[in-house]
Amino acid sequence: MNELIESLRAIVGDKRVLVRAGELRTYESDGLPGYQKRPALAVFPGTRDEVIAVVRLLADRNVPFVPRGAGTGLSGGALADDVVLLGLHRLKGILSIDADDGRAVVEPGVVNSSLGRAAAAFGLSFAPDPSSQTACTIGGNVAENAGGPHCLKYGVTLNHVLAITALLPGGEIVQLGNPEGESDGYDLLGAFIGSEGCFGVALDVTVLLTKNPQAVRTLLADFSSVDAAAHAVSAVIAAGIVPAAMEMMDAATVQVVEASIYAAGYPTDAAAILLIELDGAAAGLDDDAARVAAFCRAAGARGVRSATDPEERARLWQGRKKAFGAMGRISPALVVQDAVVPRTKLPAVLAEIHRIAERHDVHICNVFHAGDGNLHPNIGYDPTNPAEAARVHAAMSEVMHACIDAGGTITGEHGVGLDKMPYMDALFTPATLRAMCEVREVFDPGRRANPGKVVPVHACREWHGVPSTWRSA
Amino acid sequence: MTTSEAPARGHAAAVVDEVQRARAARTPLRIVGAGTWLHGGRPVHADHRLDLRDLAGAGVLHYEPGDLTLTVRAATTFGEIDRLLRAEGQWLPLDPPGGADGTIGATIATASAGPLASAFGTPREQVLGVEIVNGCGEVIRAGGRVVKNVAGFDLTRLMTGAWGTLGAITEVSVRLRARPATETTVAVAASAAEAWRWISASEFAPYAAELLNPTLARALGVGDRSTLLLRLGGNESLVRAALSSVAALAEPHPVDAAVWTRLSERDAPDTAVIRLSSRPSRLSPIWERVSTTLERVGGEAHATPRRGVVRCTIPVDSTGDEAFARLRGIINALRVDATMVAERLPAPLWRSLVPGAASDALSRGLRGVFDPDRLLNPGIFGELP
Repeated sequence: MNELIESLRAIVGDKRVLVRAGELRTYESDGLPGYQKRPALAVFPGTRDEVIAVVRLLADRNVPFVPRGAGTGLSGGALADDVVLLGLHRLKGILSIDADDGRAVVEPGVVNSSLGRAAAAFGLSFAPDPSSQTACTIGGNVAENAGGPHCLKYGVTLNHVLAITALLPGGEIVQLGNPEGESDGYDLLGAFIGSEGCFGVALDVTVLLTKNPQAVRTLLADFSSVDAAAHAVSAVIAAGIVPAAMEMMDAATVQVVEASIYAAGYPTDAAAILLIELDGAAAGLDDDAARVAAFCRAAGARGVRSATDPEERARLWQGRKKAFGAMGRISPALVVQDAVVPRTKLPAVLAEIHRIAERHDVHICNVFHAGDGNLHPNIGYDPTNPAEAARVHAAMSEVMHACIDAGGTITGEHGVGLDKMPYMDALFTPATLRAMCEVREVFDPGRRANPGKVVPVHACREWHGVPSTWRSA
Repeated sequence: MTTSEAPARGHAAAVVDEVQRARAARTPLRIVGAGTWLHGGRPVHADHRLDLRDLAGAGVLHYEPGDLTLTVRAATTFGEIDRLLRAEGQWLPLDPPGGADGTIGATIATASAGPLASAFGTPREQVLGVEIVNGCGEVIRAGGRVVKNVAGFDLTRLMTGAWGTLGAITEVSVRLRARPATETTVAVAASAAEAWRWISASEFAPYAAELLNPTLARALGVGDRSTLLLRLGGNESLVRAALSSVAALAEPHPVDAAVWTRLSERDAPDTAVIRLSSRPSRLSPIWERVSTTLERVGGEAHATPRRGVVRCTIPVDSTGDEAFARLRGIINALRVDATMVAERLPAPLWRSLVPGAASDALSRGLRGVFDPDRLLNPGIFGELP
């Protein structure tokens, strides 16, 4: 171990290798408190060449590692016991922006909103907009196939990445996708995106940039029942209108947001509010906005308000994007789920979630991407109270199974990580899980990259290669 | 809602039996859906067919219009899907070459796309999940039926465009769209440079913006020069504004929407079909070269400027070494500075023009996971028997 530390220091410099428990504490969890794992050490390369040298050294010594960006993930993904934590956030280079073709080449540590600011100078933007976008990195977005409110219209990270230069766990460098045209053969790029750090790390990412819309309309509708809001969502979609975003927050969420520093002026007596954004060419946008407002009123909205200036629009969005932050301020710990259900099942699933909460005596807040059925039920709790923590986890497990039973899935944009692994068996057949394990082994025959994530070990072929004793070497 | 329950062992059961029999006998299989694209792709070294229409059948498994998703058996045709969706005011915006008889399974397997990919992307953007039978005769169900899903590694993307070499697709789930209030198609004369300038600067996102070379424009009866064929959709104000914006290029002429079907059904059997691609902004010189060359040999070309893709159809009116050498010369002249993907070539030309795909170590490893004995469509990526 000491020899490894010295070798890593020789690559990245003394200060970029952390070994003391106190220094490593930051890297014991991600954005989802409740999972704590202790890496053996953390290394922070600052250049592409340093990343390559570090990964090749780890390959040479058969050492398991966990890639990590900003650590904002919500699945307990970028952490593990007794591994080398490979922090990539120092690779912040925006290597090129090609405004004519709407694309940029960036290093993995570039923060999502920094890329957004750089692109804005050309009237462009990077479409995926996870709520953590002021901190999360493009490498992390790729690892989780991140989404965000606006992926209702614009799609997720998969739809906005043209190519990746990937460093496989064994140290080989491969080009995935083709920035100069179509690809023939297997969609290795598609397989890599969303692989949660198990297939290697991205050295650079060629992303697509989207032209900023000519005009934007942001509407806030408030409802006296969650059902009514869900019906409004269905009516808008059925009419062939594709809003850029359609977000729902229930009464519990609205009250927490409004009591926080992120107060956005949401009506605190509403049972549910919808934040709906339309964008595109100015022509016809007001017609669509009028129709959306009419659908909301027909579904029983008490009021529909339109943001009249960019400041008000930003304020309405801040309440939504900081909702988890607001909840985090009133509870020591927070569980956040990420299930997706068929849109028509939303009212029934929300009612079931309500019943589950009552049964377990927990307080569930719902804030979610209503347009695509992506739910984020969350519960604040005190982890030092074992009885409460047990009730919370029992309730969440029931919520997840209710979503699976409704024909849904266990994660829409946060990833499986550690948090959703218990549900993988309910979602996939043994043959499918085994295929996933074997696909991982094609990229990482040693199973050293982000070990123990995504696919439960019992679903994989027996394997004895995990180098659990590397530290004593 | 339409739901037909699968039989107890699932509708893939007969495919499983057939693959397991073939595996025991080491018999390579040629996967067949409707059989309309057997002339596409590299030669397959297999005498036996795995006929998905016979074994797994066609038809709808799950359709809930409010969810805007559809699950069908893989051999279901676009014609069947379109009839079902039209009644609900919805559509699946995929228009690969071939027309109504083509199957959704073959489209996903080959990742084939048409002009609508300009706005809606290729099959990888639209497929939500697949069921496959791999080369060991195991059923694998990847993805799901919901529009957002990152549970587990993305086997759905791997199957899309794998040409059946990782498994025979038996079931497909796709996302749908509601039809817009208004839709219109117009033709406008434009060079590649003019078309790209308009498309890249436009606030309007046409459903399709396809550039036709003069030969193809004449054949479709929409012009006699390089012509941009536009499909615009949305509410009436939007479409009206888009039309007046197009008028800045040249006078737009209304065209019957059936032109899109005629375009997708156009491929004649005795042709070679290749696609050239590049960054969209660099398409213009490729297009000019293609136009000039194909005008001389009577070939047709259409391009999707937004994607930077040109599809060229070159007549193959005779066989024999001399004719093939001529064709090879034409294609090699066309492909300069472009990425080339071939859809259809005379069998002897594949190896010299596009020797292989999926030959890298990762791809070979993946083939080994799903089809260790290389029973499924062997040869279709140029691998040796």
